[in-house]
Amino acid sequence: MDLPTVISLTESELDLDALLAQITLPTTGASAIFTGMVRGQTSSNNAHETIYLEYEAFQPMAETKMRQVAEEIRKKWPSIEGIAIVQRIGRLYPGTPTTLIACTSAHRNTGVFEATRYGIDRLKEIVPVWKKETGLQGEEWVEGHYHPKPGE
Amino acid sequence: MHKVKILFFATLRDYVGLKSVELEIPFGMTVIGVTEKLIETYPGLDKVKDMMMAAINREYAAETEVIPEGAEIAFFPPVSGG
Repeated sequence: MDLPTVISLTESELDLDALLAQITLPTTGASAIFTGMVRGQTSSNNAHETIYLEYEAFQPMAETKMRQVAEEIRKKWPSIEGIAIVQRIGRLYPGTPTTLIACTSAHRNTGVFEATRYGIDRLKEIVPVWKKETGLQGEEWVEGHYHPKPGE
Repeated sequence: MHKVKILFFATLRDYVGLKSVELEIPFGMTVIGVTEKLIETYPGLDKVKDMMMAAINREYAAETEVIPEGAEIAFFPPVSGG
């Protein structure tokens, strides 16, 4: 049976139940789901309020890199059954889910938590998506830190 | 000389004021060469050159990589999705 991989860059609201259903097989007994949302209030260093975030992507490359993240997960954790990697783009307000990474497997102790964690970490390293933050002081691009190696 | 397509994203697009531009470059020019040529044309980029990453035909490229004929070169800052 082909293992389901869902890759999506979308302007639509994320439907967590529908995405989970797409990566659930008859043999699936566990899933780890990570979702990130727009944080309205940041209290750690540089405390501030966020009115909204505007996400943009280099779409064709972003989809290729999301697929690459899924392949990397499958190589590292062969027991993973389904993988969903979704990034929402456009203007998003506090409390709104912006991304979803979910992995499924037969049991919870076969790497499903680690695989999901790896998925969000890699998305934040290599998938060409950027966000501009609008707050009370105006707007500013949020800068990442990771410089991928050639071909990474 | 050959023609390449340059794309700009996020803060780099703001500095250049354009989403994309076509450029005539000599054969054998590297990513660094293109970057320097762009800074000449769009001096605003000089301030952000340290954060300029390049993808050639949608794959991360080294600064020393030679630009293939008819390439699409995307310039952008470190990614910040999620």
